[in-house]
Amino acid sequence: MDFVPKAPREGINVSKTHPLKEAATLILGICGVLVLLFVVLAVSIDVAVRFIPPDMESKVFSSVDLDDVFEAVADERTEKVQDLVDRLARHWEDAPYTFRAVVIGSDDPNAAALPGGTILVTAALLDDVETENELAFVLGHELGHFKNRDHLRRLGRETVYALAFAAVSGVGGGSIPDLATISKELTSRGFDRGQERAADHFGLEIVYKEYGHVGSAWDFFERLATQALVAKVLVAYLSTHPASDRRIDDLKDFALKQGWALEGPAEEL
Amino acid sequence: MDQDTATWIDGCIGCSGILWPFFLLLVTYFIGNYIERRHLQDILAREAKHRSFPVVTFETVPEGWNVTDVGLVQGSVVISVDYFKRFLAALRGIIGGRIKSYEPLLDRARREATLRMIEDARARGYNGVLNARLETSRLATGRANNKGIAGVELLAFGTGVKLG
Repeated sequence: MDFVPKAPREGINVSKTHPLKEAATLILGICGVLVLLFVVLAVSIDVAVRFIPPDMESKVFSSVDLDDVFEAVADERTEKVQDLVDRLARHWEDAPYTFRAVVIGSDDPNAAALPGGTILVTAALLDDVETENELAFVLGHELGHFKNRDHLRRLGRETVYALAFAAVSGVGGGSIPDLATISKELTSRGFDRGQERAADHFGLEIVYKEYGHVGSAWDFFERLATQALVAKVLVAYLSTHPASDRRIDDLKDFALKQGWALEGPAEEL
Repeated sequence: MDQDTATWIDGCIGCSGILWPFFLLLVTYFIGNYIERRHLQDILAREAKHRSFPVVTFETVPEGWNVTDVGLVQGSVVISVDYFKRFLAALRGIIGGRIKSYEPLLDRARREATLRMIEDARARGYNGVLNARLETSRLATGRANNKGIAGVELLAFGTGVKLG
């Protein structure tokens, strides 16, 4: 047998895929799957919260000390707000919540609905409202969020986002925030337009049932809108609630359609 | 410095934090690619030069061969992984599949080790190598509890034979 020198075949052990192409495929593919996963998770939580009974929700959130997170203040007006909330809640038949009004010492006029039936009202809001009817509509609007379980849907979604963020930053030691931290984060974000509209309509209905007319219900928003226009600043309430002219127009349309009186005597605070 | 410039610079710093790993990946890709191509050219030239030197995997000396001298010949090479290849391999570690980025690396290592063995055998006056073998071992680093990979060693060894 003679030895005949032969050149080896080139490239049998090396794949032909370009490394940059492989990198792009892998990065985009893995990111795509992750995004899809979190969207599915967010949507399924959105659906699941509708099946959580309100009494279970209250039980779960009674263990979360929200007063501490939000720095509730001992305001002498708290009792009056609570009284008004109780009066308004009577118009929501079989309301599954025991509502609790909490005044917090913020300088920004705002209100928020928290899981478990807590309604946050800032001291600045109480300073800014001029009649009971204005405050009643703001509170009625928040009751509307409870009615539609918006607060819980948002909490579920936020939890998924927090989870996603922790998973992505997990390499750097990201941690999953607790319920209280998430709840606090929540109040800085708004709901979507459809949710706000539904809450508006519910709030207006409650105002009508309480006073027999919807006069001065949206005066507060009109003042805020003018204030924002003049000062060119974003008023806090407007950062989490829509406050365009369209919102007031929509409220007027809704009231007209229902045949509710647009004018009426305003109650003193 | 006015407000706009400050915001702009802030934005750039923020962006660079996110873009830095990608920048590093691209740079290491181009450097790694350049080194790999140069190494492969060197390997091809040396393989052509040593093509007439027989390296076989027989365990025993074939009948009729007049062997006058034998000895262990070996060649080894240690090759490290670049950031880009490691990144691709890490992504593969999530979804599975062939780690294509390591293939050219190990291909070069095998051929370089074999070439060094041949060069060793030639320098010592052998006419060929019998029972040629290849071995791979992982070199660990002190990082990540000795689970980090510093590189791989590829060892080629065999029996150099001198024919009479």
